[in-house]
Amino acid sequence: MTDVKTRIDETVKASDVVLFMKGTKDMPQCGFSSRVAGVLNYMGVDYSDVNVLADEEVRSGIKEYSDWPTIPQLYVKGEFVGGCDIITEMTLSGELDTMFETNGVAFDKDAADKIREANG
Amino acid sequence: MSISNEIEQRLQAAFQPRELVVENESGKHAGHAGDDGSGESHFNVVIRADAFAGLSRVARHRAVHKALGDINTRVHALALDIAE
Repeated sequence: MTDVKTRIDETVKASDVVLFMKGTKDMPQCGFSSRVAGVLNYMGVDYSDVNVLADEEVRSGIKEYSDWPTIPQLYVKGEFVGGCDIITEMTLSGELDTMFETNGVAFDKDAADKIREANG
Repeated sequence: MSISNEIEQRLQAAFQPRELVVENESGKHAGHAGDDGSGESHFNVVIRADAFAGLSRVARHRAVHKALGDINTRVHALALDIAE
């Protein structure tokens, strides 16, 4: 693996939940990143955010790493889960809850239900 | 040819969808990040095709990305709603 791929691989595996995004979880700089970070924040998920705008190597490298052309990208237990469309769909269908439960990731179930009620 | 038409043609050829809607939403994002002034920066695609049966969400998206080829990098944002 190249240096950047090694670096990304280490980052992805260093935390249970990792979000590669534009901006930070507290200050997203893109609507799509903002939507995914917003869901995770609201659900109280403990996750690491990686601002790709702060690291050009990671910004291009992450796309090759996952064979996925866009940001944001969510990883759980080292596995790529999806981008904004997929996370949105999984949030509304409840699959995201199941995936977190399966992987032992703590989250606020009531908050997840509230998101679904508001968007149902 | 507009990018909307290109997206339609490529997806039509790749998946023979039952339903395909390509919306150019660039007007909604005028002046925001990613608006390059072309009026062809933000798109929303809804596609329904038997070809997606049995594929995971990630695999469906990868199949669409592959069919779109260089269009992925020519637009700023492409929202995909994919189902069989």
